[in-house]
Parts: sequence; C-alpha cells; structure tokens
Amino acid sequence: MAATERPQGRSMGDRLYDAIFGNRLWRSIFRSGYPNTPRNQMLAVATNVFLHLHPTRIHRTHVKITHTFCLGGLSFFLFLGLTISGVLLMFYYVPSVDRAYTDILALETDVRFGQLMRNMHRWMAHGMVLTVLMHMMRVFYTGAYKPPREFNWVVGVVLLVLTLLLSFTGYLLPWDQLALWAITVGTNMVGSAPLLGEPNRFILVGGFQVGQAALTRFYALHVIGLPLLAAVFMMVHFWRIRRDGGLARPL
Amino acid sequence: MAAAPQTQAQPASAAVKARQRRAREEELLVWPDLVFIEFICAVLFTILIVGLAVMVDSILLDRANPAVTPNPSKAPWYFLNLQELLLHMHPALAGVVVPTVALIALGAIPYWDNTPEGQGEWLSTPRAWLNLRVGAAVGAIGTTLLIFYDESKHIQLFEMIAGKDSWPEQLNFMRGLRGIQNEINWPAWTLDVPLGNVLRLDLLGLPKIELDWNIPGFIVEQFIPVNTMVGLPILLSLVAHKLKIAQTKRDHMVLQFSGFIAVYVTLTIVGTYFRGEGLALVPYTIFADPSH
Repeated sequence: MAATERPQGRSMGDRLYDAIFGNRLWRSIFRSGYPNTPRNQMLAVATNVFLHLHPTRIHRTHVKITHTFCLGGLSFFLFLGLTISGVLLMFYYVPSVDRAYTDILALETDVRFGQLMRNMHRWMAHGMVLTVLMHMMRVFYTGAYKPPREFNWVVGVVLLVLTLLLSFTGYLLPWDQLALWAITVGTNMVGSAPLLGEPNRFILVGGFQVGQAALTRFYALHVIGLPLLAAVFMMVHFWRIRRDGGLARPL
Repeated sequence: MAAAPQTQAQPASAAVKARQRRAREEELLVWPDLVFIEFICAVLFTILIVGLAVMVDSILLDRANPAVTPNPSKAPWYFLNLQELLLHMHPALAGVVVPTVALIALGAIPYWDNTPEGQGEWLSTPRAWLNLRVGAAVGAIGTTLLIFYDESKHIQLFEMIAGKDSWPEQLNFMRGLRGIQNEINWPAWTLDVPLGNVLRLDLLGLPKIELDWNIPGFIVEQFIPVNTMVGLPILLSLVAHKLKIAQTKRDHMVLQFSGFIAVYVTLTIVGTYFRGEGLALVPYTIFADPSH
C-alpha cells in the first residue's frame, strides 16, 4: 500500500517506524501511517472525524494569523472549555435557592481547585462573548459574508444570540445579589415588549419575580437546552464553511 | 523516528505537472500548516485562561435577597448598552424593539450588500478604511453627545461660562429630552387623547381601542428616539454620499456597520463604567463600590 513513501534502506529507525506506525493497533485506529508524507498528511485530515472539518489543502493566505486572528476557532475552543469546566462545576452545584449560594461558597473554599474551575468558567464565558463579537467584525471587514456565504452569516448571528443567552442564563446561577438583580433587570426588559411582553417574561421567569422557578429554568437552559441548540447551529456553521468553498478569497 | 523521504509519483504529462505546480504554489497542507497553528493557539489560550483564573477571582456578592435592591442594579455587561438606551426612551423600544430590529438588520447585511467586491481581504476596497474611520468616529462622538444632551451637560457647560442659573428660561425645554415634555405648557387635552375616538376602528367592526394617548410623552419617548436612531444613520449615509466618501454599497455598509459597532461599544462603556447610584452619569466600577 505505501510502497512509495517507505524509506529505501532498512535502518534501525526505519524498523522502529514500521513497528510503531505500521502495526495493527495503530492502523486500526488511524488507518494511515504517521503524517510525515504529503499523502499521509492529507489522509490524517481526511480520515479523522475531528480533523475532517478542515479541507486537506488550504490557500496559503488563510493560514496567516492576521487574516482571521483565529477568532472563530477560539470561540469554538472556549465553548469546548466551557463545556468541560461546566460539567465539573455541575458535580458540586445544586440549582435550589436554598443551596445554590452555599454550594458556590463551598466550591470556593472546600473543593480542591473549585475556585480555579469557577474562575476559568467565568473568564472563558466573558471571553467567548468577546471572541464571538470580534469574529463577527473580522468576517464583516474581510467581506466574508458575501454570496455564496449569506446564509452562514445568518447562522453566525443566531450563534451570537445563543452565546449571549448562554452567558445570561449562567449569570443567575451563583444566586448572589449581582446574579439576582442582573437577571431581574434583564427579564424586566423582556416584559416591556409591546406584544406579549408580560406573558413572555412570566414564562421565562416562571412567576412574577425571579425565584426558584427562574433558577430551575435558567439552569436547565444553561446546562443542556442552549448548549445543544448552539452545538446544532455550530455543526451547520462549520459544515457550511466547507460547502460554501472554504474561507472567502479575493476575486 | 526516521523521517521518510518525501518522494512522490512523477506526474505523467507536462500538463499535469504544470497544474500541480500551480496548485502547490498557492495551497498548503492543512496538516501541518493549519493544524499546528490551531494547536499552538489552543495551548497559548489555555495558559492565558489558567493564568487569568489563578490571578483574578470571579466576583461573588452577598446571597441573593429580593428585599434588598442594590443601587445601581445592572444587567450583565453585554446588555448594559440596552440598559443605557432604557434611560433615554420608552422601555419597549430600548428593551425589545431596538435589539430585535438591530439583529434582523445585522442578519440582512449580506442580502443587501451582495456585490462581490472586497471579499477575502481586510478592508480591501479603495475607501473601506476611510468609511470605517468616519463611521466609527461619528458613531462614538454622536452617541456621547446625545447622552450628554439628555444628561443636561450642555447646561452645565453654559452655566460654567455664563454664570450660575444663567440658562434662559425660554430655553428650558432644551434642558434635555424630557424638557420637551416637562418644560412646555402642553394643553390639557394633549395629555389624554382617547385614541378610540380618533381612530374609529369600531366603525369597521373591529374592537374599540381603549388607549389614552399622551402626546408629549409619545414625542419624547418614542417619536424623537425612533427618528434619531433611523434618521441619523440615513443622514450620515447621505452626507457621506454627497462628499464622495461612500460611493458603493460596500462603502455604505462599512460606514453603517462601523457606526453601529461604535455606538454599541460607546453605550456599553457608558453603561458599565459611567452609571453609578441612581444610574447617574458618574464614573463607576463595581469593584470599588464600598457596599460590596
């Protein structure tokens, strides 16, 4: 199969290479050899479910950092980091008005690396709002929303809204004064809508004021509802980048 | 490990050879050229986030208490632009209509500006940078001036120069936007127009409108804000067009988008760092607040 890419001589190194990257275990996982030849490098990308989000080849101007500043990738990276740190936080947090605040206090004082985990989750959340906004600006100023990429821009706007909603629902969970009143101010804005404002606010908060019902709802939305929705839109977003011909190129 | 020599099968004909060479010149392999950049970027940001999380603790105030309203109460920072708008217009407008319209307009950008020019490179059309600068400057300065006007800063400036209480009484309606409502003697009937008697929907068989219309309130809370938010961007585009700053669709788009971003950032900064107790226009940060 790989006759042309094997080294000619059978030195010690060659035999070691074959032993590591040619054995049945490696081949059963990766299918291709170590990506040290153009063929294997392309196979590494094309046959890996995670890497195949990428094309196998890319225009050279698109790997320049200053073209994208990695902003879209960073947003996704932060989403993954938030998922991991968020799951760890869920181990120690119960969304009840009696326990939520003391759980956060315990997380900060009793749990090993609990404070660090909470800090990381919060800074990544703020960071994601920033990177998503900056990614939008990058796409705009490089003209990358133009046909055939119109619809992917719309998907991006939806992802921006979902990012803000994810951050907003998470804001209530520590159940301190900052959380309660920020969400009260925010949900009151919803209530002022000219049509169905008050009914919508009531459904969102689950009552007349922010209490247990609101905490339950925001928690459910924050840990499962909105992340799933965001993941679906991200799938469409990434897939459409490939379908629409990769990153935009000058004419 | 031993590096395998990068031998490849020789192309069959000259045509294939030429095509391959051209592709090679412009394209790179994703592994390693892109994957490694992504990996390094991920490592750097992991270090950055862990470093930040070690050094700066996230804020935790007292336990939530519905009986104690903090002063000021603020939404999360990315909504403080809307909360700032709330101080200057009708809540339905600031809290719902403006963000909805803004998001729809944002999503509609590619359907309006569908010309292929300026793709794939940063601000590559001839006047893109100019329009960015003009849009951002007008957006930021304009928003600041409007906030200053509504906070009566022009009165302070005038009285600093001309002496205390020197603002002419006839111009009291220009103390701020609310001045139009509060400093003018509106006839009593304008404060309470029964809309159902004017728009006779009941004659068409529709339910009668049970709304009393406060005309000065409507002018101050809705009519002027809507016309400001719609009119000033249009005026900006018209002037830019006349001055030949913006000539193509893309120019106008860059102008308007930069203006929007500047307004958004200005409102967010004012809402976050310059709204203190009672949401008065003073420098403020939650970290310096003694009550926390």
